[in-house]
Amino acid sequence: MSRVRDGASAGGLRCENIQVAFGGLKAVAGVSYDFKPGHLYGLIGPNGAGKTTLMNALSGHATLSGGRVFLDNRDITRLSVHARTRAGLGRSFQITKIFSGMSVLENLQLGAFAHRYRVQPFWMPASRFRDVREDAEKVLEQVGLTKLAHTSADYLSHGDQRALEVGLTLLGDPRVLLLDEPLAGVGHERLDQAIDLIRRIVAGRTVLLIEHNMDVVMQVSHEIVVMVQGQLLASGSPDEVRANPAVRAAYLGEGE
Amino acid sequence: MTTSHLGRLAMAAIIAAMILVPVIQTSEESLNLVSLILIWALFAIGFDLIFGMAGMLSFGHAALFGSGGYALTLLVTKAGVGFVPALGAAGMVGAVMAFGLSIFALRVSGLFFSLLTLALAQLVYILASTKLRSHTGGLDGIPGVPRPELFGIDFYDNRNYYYFLIVVFIVGIAVMALLRASPFGKALQAVQANDVRAAQIGYNVQRLRQCAFMISGFYAGVSGALLASLMFYISPQMLHWTTSGDVLIMTVLGGKGTLLGPILGVAVFEVLKEKLSQYTQHWYGILGLIFILCTIFLPNGIAGLFARKAAGRPGDAP
Repeated sequence: MSRVRDGASAGGLRCENIQVAFGGLKAVAGVSYDFKPGHLYGLIGPNGAGKTTLMNALSGHATLSGGRVFLDNRDITRLSVHARTRAGLGRSFQITKIFSGMSVLENLQLGAFAHRYRVQPFWMPASRFRDVREDAEKVLEQVGLTKLAHTSADYLSHGDQRALEVGLTLLGDPRVLLLDEPLAGVGHERLDQAIDLIRRIVAGRTVLLIEHNMDVVMQVSHEIVVMVQGQLLASGSPDEVRANPAVRAAYLGEGE
Repeated sequence: MTTSHLGRLAMAAIIAAMILVPVIQTSEESLNLVSLILIWALFAIGFDLIFGMAGMLSFGHAALFGSGGYALTLLVTKAGVGFVPALGAAGMVGAVMAFGLSIFALRVSGLFFSLLTLALAQLVYILASTKLRSHTGGLDGIPGVPRPELFGIDFYDNRNYYYFLIVVFIVGIAVMALLRASPFGKALQAVQANDVRAAQIGYNVQRLRQCAFMISGFYAGVSGALLASLMFYISPQMLHWTTSGDVLIMTVLGGKGTLLGPILGVAVFEVLKEKLSQYTQHWYGILGLIFILCTIFLPNGIAGLFARKAAGRPGDAP
C-alpha cells in the first residue's frame, strides 16, 4: 500500500462544465478541465474563487447543478462520496477531519478497514486483523507518525494532526488525490517537513492541490490552474502562469 | 488496557452476582426486580449500539420494544408458534420495524432524526391502542402472555424464568461485546466521531447506521417480548414514548458508549424506582432530579467513574 506508485496506474480526472450553485450564488460556474494521469496540479485563486467547492464537486460532497465528472473515463457524477473513494479518489480537508477519541493508529486502521471490506466484519474483534494493522502501520511510517501511533489523535500537535489528515487519504492507495490546503496552519518550523511529506505521497498519483503558499505551489506543481469567481482564468506551467498578465492582475498582484 | 480489564472484571462480577441472586435472595419481589433489570439491560445495551456507538438519538425505541412484545404474544397465543422461535421472531419484528423507521428517519440527522423517530413511534402506539384493537386488545392490552415451555421445566415459576433470562442476557451481552469490538463496531464509532471523514475513507455511512439501527431493533424486540412474558401481560404502554425516554435516561445515567454503562444505569434506575415508589408517588420526579444531577456531575455516567483513572492519559486506547 505504501509502495511508490508508477505513473501509469495514476488516474485521469476530467470535469465537464461543472456548476455548483448555492441559492442564487454560482460558486462554480462552468469549469471544464482534463487532469492528466500522474501530474500534480496546483489550484490557486483568491478567497471565494470556488476552489474548495470545485474540490467538493469532484469528491462528491457538493451537489452539482450541472456538468459531469469522469474518473478514468468512467462517469462518477452520480456516485456518492464513499463510492468515489472506493473508485480511487482520495481527499484531505482544509479543516482537519480526524477521528477524535481514538489513537493515531486506530484512526488509520479505520481507513484500512473501510477500504478492505465492503461489508464490515462483525464476527471477530478488530484487533485480530493483522493485514489491516500492517496497512495502517505503513501509512504511519509514510507520514512520520510511527512514534505517536498510540497517542490519542486529540493530543497531537497541529502539524501532526495535519500529517494524520493526509495519512487518512492514503489508505486504499488512491490514484487521484485531492489535497485541500494540507499545509494550512502548519508552523514555519514544520513547513519543510510537511512539504517533504507532500512530495513523497504525490509520486505516481494524479494530484489536485489547493495551497495558499505560492512558493510551495510553484515549487511542487507540474501545472497551475487559476480560478477566479467560479471560473478558470488560466492554466499552464508555473512559469507561464507567473508571467500571465491576467493572473497577475487578478491574483498574484494582490497582497504580494 | 486497565480500563478494559476493569470493565471485564466488573462484567464478570455483575454476571456472577446475578446468578447468585436467586440463591441468596428468596423474596419474590427482589427476584422480579432483578428480572426486570436483566430485560431492560438487554434493551439498553441494544439502544446504546446506536446511541453510544453511532451517535444517533432514537426516540422511537418504544415502538421496537412494544412490537416485539406483541409479536411474541400473538405468535404464541394465536398462531401456536413455540416460545423460543417466537422470541427470535419478536427480534426480527423489532429489526424490521427499525428498518421501516430508518427509511424515513435516516434521511435526516441530529435532532430531526430524534423527532422523526418519536413521531413514527407514536404512530405505532396509536395504531396499537385504537386502530388495531381487534388484534392488540386496544388500551386494555392482552393478558396471559405465556412463558417458555422447554425441557419440561416450569418457567411459570419466577425463579426458573429468571435463569432463562440469564441465559438470553449472557448471549446478548456476548454478541454485543463482539459487535462493539469488531470492525463493524469501530466503523460505527468512526461515523459518530466524524461522519464526513468516515464517508471520505470509504465507509457507506447510511448503510452502517441502518444496520446498527436494525440490530438495535432486534435487541429491543427480544427484550420487549421477554418483558411481556415476565409480566404475563402486554399493553400499548410499552409502545408509549415514555418507554423510549426511560431507556435513554438509563443509558445516560449509566454511561453511554460503554457496554457496562447501560447495565449499571438500568440497575440504578430500577432499584431507585422500586425503593422510591414505596415512599412517594412522586418517584418519577425524584428520579428526574437524580438524572439531572448525574448529567451535570457525571457526564460520562456511572461507568465513567470506573474509567476516570485511565482517562486523560495520552495514548491510552479505550
